[in-house]
Amino acid sequence: MKLTIGNFHVKDIVFGSELSFKDGVLTINKEEALAFIREDDRITEAELYIAKPGDKIRMCPVKEAIEPRCRLDGRGLFPGYTSEMAPAGDGVTYALKNCSVLVVGRHWGGFQDGIIDMSGEGQKYTYYGYLNNIVLVADTNEEFERHEQQKKNDALRRAGHKLAEFIGQCVKDLTPEDTEVYELGQMIKRGAEVEKLPSVVYVMQPQSQMEEMGYNDLVYGWDMNHFVPTVMHPNEVLDGALVSGSFMPVSSKWSTYDFQNCPSIKALYAEHGKTINFLGVIMSNLNVALEQKERSALFVAQIAKSLGADGAVLAEEGYGNPDADFVGCYVALEDAGVKVVGVTNECTGRDGQSQPLVTLDEKCDAIVSCGNVSELIELPPMETVLGELDALKRDGLSGGWADDELLGPSVRADGSIIMENNSMFCGDQVIGWSPKTMKEF
Amino acid sequence: MKKAIVYVNQFFGQIGGEEKAGAAPEIHEGQIGPAMQFAKELEDTEVTHTIICGDNYMGSNTDEAVQTILGMLEGKEMDIFLAGPAFQAGRYTVACGTICKAVKEKFGVPVVTSMNEETPGVDMFKKEMYILKGGNIASKMRQDVKAMANVANKLLKGEPVGDAETEGYFARGIRHQVWLEDGTPATVRMIDMLLKKLNGEPFKTELPMPKLDRVPIAPAIKDLPHAKIALLNTGGIVPVDNPDHIQSASATRWGRYNIADTEALKGGEYKTIHAGFDPAAADANPNVITPVDALKVLQKEGVFGSLHDYFYTTVGTGTTEAEARRMAKEIIPYLKEDGVDGVIMVST
Amino acid sequence: MVKEVEKAGFPIVQMCNLIPVAKTVGSNRIVPTISIPYPLGDPGTSKEDQWKLRYHRTKVAVESLGIDIKEQTVFKV
Repeated sequence: MKLTIGNFHVKDIVFGSELSFKDGVLTINKEEALAFIREDDRITEAELYIAKPGDKIRMCPVKEAIEPRCRLDGRGLFPGYTSEMAPAGDGVTYALKNCSVLVVGRHWGGFQDGIIDMSGEGQKYTYYGYLNNIVLVADTNEEFERHEQQKKNDALRRAGHKLAEFIGQCVKDLTPEDTEVYELGQMIKRGAEVEKLPSVVYVMQPQSQMEEMGYNDLVYGWDMNHFVPTVMHPNEVLDGALVSGSFMPVSSKWSTYDFQNCPSIKALYAEHGKTINFLGVIMSNLNVALEQKERSALFVAQIAKSLGADGAVLAEEGYGNPDADFVGCYVALEDAGVKVVGVTNECTGRDGQSQPLVTLDEKCDAIVSCGNVSELIELPPMETVLGELDALKRDGLSGGWADDELLGPSVRADGSIIMENNSMFCGDQVIGWSPKTMKEF
Repeated sequence: MKKAIVYVNQFFGQIGGEEKAGAAPEIHEGQIGPAMQFAKELEDTEVTHTIICGDNYMGSNTDEAVQTILGMLEGKEMDIFLAGPAFQAGRYTVACGTICKAVKEKFGVPVVTSMNEETPGVDMFKKEMYILKGGNIASKMRQDVKAMANVANKLLKGEPVGDAETEGYFARGIRHQVWLEDGTPATVRMIDMLLKKLNGEPFKTELPMPKLDRVPIAPAIKDLPHAKIALLNTGGIVPVDNPDHIQSASATRWGRYNIADTEALKGGEYKTIHAGFDPAAADANPNVITPVDALKVLQKEGVFGSLHDYFYTTVGTGTTEAEARRMAKEIIPYLKEDGVDGVIMVST
Repeated sequence: MVKEVEKAGFPIVQMCNLIPVAKTVGSNRIVPTISIPYPLGDPGTSKEDQWKLRYHRTKVAVESLGIDIKEQTVFKV
């Protein structure tokens, strides 16, 4: 499979008369884009904003991030989800780099939603604080979940995916500034030069723990709760086969943007043929019941062994009971003779003194650690808020609270906030970007 | 100018060697032995007093020694208390840890000491204070004092103390996230660790597996048919109005709810406020988490004697161990008071 | 919490689905449940089946409190 990504580097975003991209400036016709979004009659209220690094902007409740792209063959960006079923991972796609479409609730948030700051002390907590963002702030008529803590956020998230595709169209007839090529053929008979290197698989555990449909990560539109591990080509992940869901404290989550740009896949590609023989991806999931966790681990270990993997990189999109999936899979792989490096975050509590993962095993001897979900964060007020900051304290966001004997409410009258890292939008970046680690004090 | 007081043993206090190890505590104005070097290394801080105590005296008459020293410190201006460095002298390390802990508790000032990792004081006290990783012999005095002063200066200035590895103290069982100075992303660390592990080279995990903490098994109930059982859960089952405002994650609150006259919990009267899972099943039938219905039947059948009148609820997800411990300690007196014999905990 | 209660001298049985978690935490008496959202009754089965399962596992838990154990034990259900 060969995926060519043509890059257009976005240096600025402005509103103007015509959707276009020229000399690094992305121009969006706001009314036209909003009219497109309102085609979904569930959207009752919608507005677009631009949020760039350094802007005095705080966003809450943030629900999803997507990279605007355009497939040259006319295939939709997310097959099986916003477009017809079609294979992903081959061909040419154009991408607006350094740029994301963010979806923010106009009023209502939930357990899985988060915060992004574009400047100040809070900027460093998310990857998106450093991107040029097109921000869709909207509300819907999804009354059934308005006051639910767990929200599917279906209308809003779909609006984001469609908007990213809509905006991506503006580079269809242009020539990319540079291109990245991801090419990986069959797993066997790759030639002696490559095959003498240790072979490595990337094992992904996307979030899929809600038994009711509509909350979980999707693979080609298929709910990953109803899934057993399988082999995937890494290009499929980079090319829209995976879509982020709406469950799990958000610092542990992987947005659709994260999947489209999965830095761990890119890093393994960069080593392929030099230090390793990158076989591909074993796509697993995260489960609720022990039996399901064990079943997935068993599948992963069997597949890795059958493929002849010497090593594996294992990453989980979650913390808490998903740690049991992570540790279970780690141990199953080691028991199958596969040398594992795990990538995860930890939950050591506000005081840093809690057990870092809910299950532990001495076989987990190589772990890259990306942060503490329950680290307490205090941030000053921000000039502009997109969305509704009160959602942090009112709607059960995983890192916020209505009131606390010692700390008071998460959102104060002056607009300053106190929260747990849990609600920093995709903040722990277990997908591979994380500049954070954990240290002993 | 800030003020520091230094504790040393009989040897470093220049009273004498082993023959003086039984010496009772004494306090001197000014600096003796290591205190002189502390005076040089501490910034904007005066070492006002040196306390000297024999290691055997501290070991054999601990309470008396501690009380005497605390009495000596009473009313003295003190911004920090330093003990040692104790090197590899076993009794001295325990003495330093003991007195530092007492001074910290009584006066609330920061304390710093130093000892070699091969000594008993390390495991006894490393969670309570900054213990710098010290040398094994007294010739390391200069560098050990310097390392202690480095941490002490930060504490005195109210600056954050860095992580254990950077500052050179024994990890206190506390893990926090930090931004790597060079911003090395997880992918680079991952590839580095992967290649080393694949090639059989030494590598360093960022999450060393902690040792598991065990408690002794409580003896079984001898007479189950007459025993009183209590029901606890971390699945967030509460009356629908959540009267105790228990949080749906990272809980710091708990509640207890009377079930003396309840045969089964009903949906609509009770629900779960746990945010970590799909609540539909437990909202419809709370007994799937708190099996009050089954317990009442089992009691009638004589499997056990009686059910404690209340069930207890908190939420497990994201709740720190410290909070969980505290909540358990708050609940236990109610169980004791009612003569509960055994406990069922349902976790989600 | 389980450890604190046990430290206070009460025999305590933990009913949970994630046995590896209970083992890591250091619970001594463990009785498996069927899932996290509904430990004691699968809403996909009949009311009667749910009751049977709940009654049975709760009984095992109660009885485990009367059984002397020498090491961490997961009771069969």
